[in-house]
Amino acid sequence: MRVISVKSYRVAYIGSDGDFAIALENALNAVGFPFMRETADTHGLQAAFDFKPDIVLWDRDGTQLEEKLPITALRQAGFTKQPVVAVARREDVDGAVNSLAGGAIDFIFKPLNENPVPRLLASLNAGQKQLLLDWYHRVIEDTNDQIRGILTTLVDPAYIVSPEFQILWTNRAAEEIFGEGQRGGACHHVFYDRTEPCEVCVKSKGSARWRAMLKNGKSYRFISAFVRNGRGEVERLVVGTDITPDEEVQKIHKTFIANVSHDLRTPLAAIDQYVNILLEGLAGDLTEDQRGYVDVIRRSSFRLNSLVENLIDANKILSGDFKLRMEVVTIKDIIDVVAGKLESQAADKQLMFQVQIADDLPHVYADKDRVAQVIANIAGNSIKFTEQGMIQIRAGFMPRDEGRVIVSVEDTGIGIPTEDLGKIFELFYRVEKDKVYVEEGAGLGLSISREIVRAHGGTLWAESMEGMGSAFHFALPAHSASTTAAGQGTQHRR
Amino acid sequence: MIEERDRKLILVADDDKDLVTALTIRLKAAGYGVVGAYDGDEAFKQAQETRPDLIILDVRMPAGGGFDSIDKIKHSLTTRNIPVIFLTAFDDEQMREEARQLGASGFFRKPFDDAEFMGVIESVLAKPDGSGRR
Repeated sequence: MRVISVKSYRVAYIGSDGDFAIALENALNAVGFPFMRETADTHGLQAAFDFKPDIVLWDRDGTQLEEKLPITALRQAGFTKQPVVAVARREDVDGAVNSLAGGAIDFIFKPLNENPVPRLLASLNAGQKQLLLDWYHRVIEDTNDQIRGILTTLVDPAYIVSPEFQILWTNRAAEEIFGEGQRGGACHHVFYDRTEPCEVCVKSKGSARWRAMLKNGKSYRFISAFVRNGRGEVERLVVGTDITPDEEVQKIHKTFIANVSHDLRTPLAAIDQYVNILLEGLAGDLTEDQRGYVDVIRRSSFRLNSLVENLIDANKILSGDFKLRMEVVTIKDIIDVVAGKLESQAADKQLMFQVQIADDLPHVYADKDRVAQVIANIAGNSIKFTEQGMIQIRAGFMPRDEGRVIVSVEDTGIGIPTEDLGKIFELFYRVEKDKVYVEEGAGLGLSISREIVRAHGGTLWAESMEGMGSAFHFALPAHSASTTAAGQGTQHRR
Repeated sequence: MIEERDRKLILVADDDKDLVTALTIRLKAAGYGVVGAYDGDEAFKQAQETRPDLIILDVRMPAGGGFDSIDKIKHSLTTRNIPVIFLTAFDDEQMREEARQLGASGFFRKPFDDAEFMGVIESVLAKPDGSGRR
């Protein structure tokens, strides 16, 4: 038999099977591997340890030590690096397999009916790899511990995220800034206006940089990098830096916005006035054509005004300067503010327009103009994206949780693609799939609406079937618990 | 044209001359007499000279803005009982509150709803002490 061996390994057999020991010794002698056998008792283990073996064969038979966890016993005896191969009777398949679970790197059946050397060499090889891997993971774990130690006291927020975008660890600053209880939650939930993982994280295959606003209104620049944990799994380490402008800069910004808003509204007011003077005939009668042209100016001016107001509102939301003028009102009062204008917009497109308000609705504590703005925004969208059919505004009562007044705007329009439904409330988001959607608008109205509803302690949500229509609902807490639930509906046909 | 309402006189003060002209057309069409002013000083001077029944004031104007003007108007023996309505392109809650504290009877943000604006003018003028508030 020609045996090629490049290196000599020392092999210890711990067990009391003399026949097996002789067969093993013969096989090892053939390749020149030093061999020793010892019994599985304290004295034997010590002698085997002194032999300094590269690999240990542990016989499951006749051991006086804990046989189910051979590696534990051997490690305790000082064999910290050597791979352990279990030796089991051929019929003891379960025992052999259990040895693997106990920490053995492989098993050999006895009596030997093949040369055990190749299998021992493979175990040695695997054992070395395992040692290297263990060392590598220990180093990573130690390094990670050191990094976490440093990050813990960092004044900037730092956190570690799983590949499934779940926050696994946060430092103290992140806990303070994001609020407690974020561990285990979705990472994008710490950001303002995020309902899904950020695109930059989803797409990036290495480090990433992005800016985001937190729920406390502060702006942060984040950088992230992949790190490996002690188990070799890839995680994402994220560190943020506060880039919120200081108070002085914010004051300048606020003044700038106030001035720009003022200077944009001033000419719009004049346009508005002269258009109305012309349309009301205060400057003489207009021909049909002239009236049509002036009406174009009126509509364009209205759109421009809406855009300006939305931009100002978005700015207020982003700078945390969004205030409400609260009063006790009925939802009917609020709907009345906008119903006339919406009705005439719907009539322009020959759409049916209905308002249905349930009887005996409780009052709400709200900013009348702002809630009217929400209705105008969502109903305005409905009209914009409905070519035939109906726009319906309904108000009713939800008795749960001390009662809420719910307002629904439903249309028979083109609907919203399912994949966009979760994003339509994000700032500057526009559904771009259909050309109709990109015709106008800056993607501000719905996010502003949601902020307004949120600021009232309410919720705004949408449902839609593409091609069938959409329904937007918002619910505001009822002001008085004394009022009864909705009775029979009253139909107001307009 | 609507019936003349004892020719109630309204002073409109705004540095946007186009807007003053437009308001003049609208208010005259509604039966009111109108005088115009284009800065803060002129507004106060006109208020003293013409003793209008109502003053519509812009906030930002040259030579003393609307707040300076209302301050003088409300502290002058001859003009202190004249109701003042602010009409401004600013939309600031603090400004609105300040106007209220200085004795304003209304606060409108430009661009404004004509019907609502005219309604408030009418209701303010209908109150004997001119204290109608929006």
